[in-house]
Amino acid sequence: MARLDINSVSKSFGAARPADALSLTVEPGEIVAVFGPSGSGKTVLLRMIAGMFEPDDGDIQVGGRSIVGAAPERRGIGMAFQNFALFPHMSARDNIASGLRAKAAGDVATRVAAISKLLKIEHVLGHTPRELSNGQKQRTALARALIGNPEVLLLDDPLRNVDAKLRYEMRLELPSLLRRGTAAVLYVTQDYREAMAIADRIAVLIGGRLVQVATPDEIYAQPASVAVARLFGDPTINLAEVVPFAEHGALCARVSGAMVGLGSADVDALERECWLGVRPEDLVVSSSPGEGAIPAKILAITPMHEKAVLLLRLADGTEWLAALPPEAPRGAADDAVFIGFAADAAMLFDRATGQKIGLSHRRQAA
Amino acid sequence: MDMLELKGIDKVYRSRGKEPVQAVRALDMVVEKGEIVALLGSSGCGKTSTLRMIAGFEDVSAGSIALRGRPIHELPPARRKVAMAFEGYSLYPPLTVRENIAFALKSAQLSRAEVDRRVNEIARLIEIDDILDRYPRAISGGQQQRVSLARALVRDADLYLLDEPMGQLEPQLRAVLRGRIKSLLAERGMTAIFVTHDQTEASALADRIAVMEGGVLQQFASEKELKSRPANLFVASFIGEPPMNLLDADVSRSDGGLRLSAGSGMSFDIADNGLEAALDKARQVRIGIRPQKIAVGTGTVRVKVVSNQWLGDQSHVAGDCDGRMLIAVTQGRVAARPGDIVPFALEPRHFHIFATDGSCIRHAEAS
Amino acid sequence: MEHSSLAGRIFRGVALTLILIFFMFPIVWIFLMSFQTNEQILRIPPRILFEPTLANYTALISGQLHTAAGNLEISFMRNLFNSVVLSSAAVMLALVLGVPAAYAFARFKFRLGETIAFTLLSFRFAPPLLVLLPLSLYYQELGLNDTYFGIVWVYQLIALPLILWIVRGYFEDISPDIEHAYRLAGHSWREAFTRIAVPLAGPGIAAAGLLSFIFCWNNFVFALILASADKQPVTVGALAFVTASGIQYGQIAAAIVLSVTPTLLLALYAQRYLVEGLSLGAVKG
Repeated sequence: MARLDINSVSKSFGAARPADALSLTVEPGEIVAVFGPSGSGKTVLLRMIAGMFEPDDGDIQVGGRSIVGAAPERRGIGMAFQNFALFPHMSARDNIASGLRAKAAGDVATRVAAISKLLKIEHVLGHTPRELSNGQKQRTALARALIGNPEVLLLDDPLRNVDAKLRYEMRLELPSLLRRGTAAVLYVTQDYREAMAIADRIAVLIGGRLVQVATPDEIYAQPASVAVARLFGDPTINLAEVVPFAEHGALCARVSGAMVGLGSADVDALERECWLGVRPEDLVVSSSPGEGAIPAKILAITPMHEKAVLLLRLADGTEWLAALPPEAPRGAADDAVFIGFAADAAMLFDRATGQKIGLSHRRQAA
Repeated sequence: MDMLELKGIDKVYRSRGKEPVQAVRALDMVVEKGEIVALLGSSGCGKTSTLRMIAGFEDVSAGSIALRGRPIHELPPARRKVAMAFEGYSLYPPLTVRENIAFALKSAQLSRAEVDRRVNEIARLIEIDDILDRYPRAISGGQQQRVSLARALVRDADLYLLDEPMGQLEPQLRAVLRGRIKSLLAERGMTAIFVTHDQTEASALADRIAVMEGGVLQQFASEKELKSRPANLFVASFIGEPPMNLLDADVSRSDGGLRLSAGSGMSFDIADNGLEAALDKARQVRIGIRPQKIAVGTGTVRVKVVSNQWLGDQSHVAGDCDGRMLIAVTQGRVAARPGDIVPFALEPRHFHIFATDGSCIRHAEAS
Repeated sequence: MEHSSLAGRIFRGVALTLILIFFMFPIVWIFLMSFQTNEQILRIPPRILFEPTLANYTALISGQLHTAAGNLEISFMRNLFNSVVLSSAAVMLALVLGVPAAYAFARFKFRLGETIAFTLLSFRFAPPLLVLLPLSLYYQELGLNDTYFGIVWVYQLIALPLILWIVRGYFEDISPDIEHAYRLAGHSWREAFTRIAVPLAGPGIAAAGLLSFIFCWNNFVFALILASADKQPVTVGALAFVTASGIQYGQIAAAIVLSVTPTLLLALYAQRYLVEGLSLGAVKG
């Protein structure tokens, strides 16, 4: 049982600064996803913890003891790599066992058998990596990382190179596998769905800075900034430039000429230049005008994950996306429609800083 | 009007010292004018070979290809009047993005003003107007892919061939660009065929999807049809995310109809309607039900929850029923933790029923 | 390949045959010469058919060279033995020094790293004659003249840069993640080097070793200047066949056949290891 503490860790490579005062704590038994666009510094963070290079500044502790400067083999860390990094000249069995032998731990054969049963690769233990499918390679790599019961488990986008079907299966299996021990787990991914499915908390890393660390629910419902909001959700959140104003005690904004209600007046947002954000699945599309409905034209309908995704052009030329549930009427391209959304689906962000503006009535995370 | 007709296409790759590989087998396909068609399949299914044969980069081993009624399979690529976007982008490194796109228009004898107008228009549509004066090496992979797409779409051609056109696009742009490209193609009545391994992309863009496997066209139909009336077990389990749940079941007679028994806790009464006649000796079938059609919280099938994942707009619940895994997808949240016992409702009207050889015996009722 | 017509195939066959004859002829001719007497060789016109003799080989092996001017002592077998000793010792030493150095150059970025690596390679650019004079003076001073060690040491000029640069490329092709993975599993960097990096670069190390063995074997000038008769390799020893009574073509041919044989066998043996793939599918791709 050991906690992973990352205390204001920084790292620069020349002009690039892939880690800028990062602080993050992972409790034993907790899975924290490190999520961000490519080049945001996710892998650099992982590699500093693993000891492939040292931070310029800050401290990394496992169970209260600093591991900065310690040799990688003395850090008690298990790691799975995006490219699997199996030893090509060893069988799957020896690959997995290599995680154990150095620690001279008990009965190697039984433990290899147990972990490979759990990961369903017992039948390929005698094969060399060359003879394994990508899915089996990934499972072998996971077994190798898990077998030593490390205190800290680092997973660097482990599902990146396996096909969609397997990735989906692994997404269902992984959380219980990873929670089997008491390791503090850091899971790097570029797929927001994977992060939400697997992690207890998500640390959003953009440009070397942690911009939000929260539960998946919280991040999806209350992203800390426009950038975070745009990273979560597929299709991407719709944005409109607005300057909210108060009308009859309610907060309102003008979107493409139409006046939409944003709930009770919130002093914070009044007369400020804001981004209004509405998720595509929160939009309601109807063929008749209603109060607060924004007129739009359907440009194209692109079905996606059982939903109909509508590309809409508003009167002022901006484009919005709506994701409608399968049973909803979808209309056809070129149809004139009216779109609306519930006031509690609206998010506001400051246009200058991109930061979230708190709306008291905002839908709370469950 | 038929735009493109493929008739009896075979493609066999022979290399010395190896068994010949049949990449495409007896492929017949008719694409209509203005249609967007996706060739969908996993790697090695023959989709890229097909595209390359239409483009003229590969010879057909047998069969014929006609574009607008004229046979083209003997013509060199340049004379087929097709435009292509390559998977590896293939941009010309010494030219700027603008020149790369305009290059495709060189042979069209257009005025400078017209070339500029067209380049700017497509650049705006595909959001590369801010990088027109950069060189290919100075832009990201996603941007390169968009330039390659623009270079194909800006041309005047009878047919547009796109090889994995959107795989590298930035996730935040993907949905919007899909919509814009679809509307551009529709507006101009352009006929396009694209290759993809991503069914989300196929169903988003295409009017009809050709599902290929092992060099054989499995089914060529709209996304809706593929989902509601899959031709066989392969198509049924390949199309749909997450994949269809499959259960093996024994068929027995019950009062007034048939009973499908898929193990303890799972037996379903259905009307016969000719089903029994289609059964084989073993009287076994395979039931397929889409995860979206399983209701959680009601019903008779009791499962032990293995995982319950909320993805922001839908929940994926995986449950174990006596060793068989069922996955349900719901639009709302589900309050269940791993280990809980939860009822799942599997309604026989949502069942696709397949014979053991994979052929489809009965489709789910239309909803 | 499907398009090749009959004419194309015939043309290809003829072209390949011509090229084969062009390259193989000297070797075959030397092989034939080694079974002929000097008189047979110098006959005009030369004949393909002749009565083979083993005299050349017996002369080499027994060390007795019979010429028109009388008997001559030669130490061909001694030379052959020297070649084997000198070349293998030089390659061994170069591997011991070069493989870890190659690993360091491949894995670690350090100050002057590239400069040092390039300087080592530049030894290959300089003509050996340029360094020979000062070298032989130093060697005399140090007492290294005419010692096995001295020659092995100077052979490092040939073998070390070759091994360093070839093996470095192989190490660079191994994903560092593989070694990181091994270290995280609790092994020291020394173990990661010996158990992961070296086995994976094995084919490259073998290729570099073989190549430098051949280069050392073929070296002439270093040994000519720095070694006396009993330390000379075959390349220098072959000079003995230029005798007062003329050039002993038959013995030269036999000597060439004998001296080529070890390297040829070594190359044939190592070939299957050389073609073995490097990454063996450990890393995706």
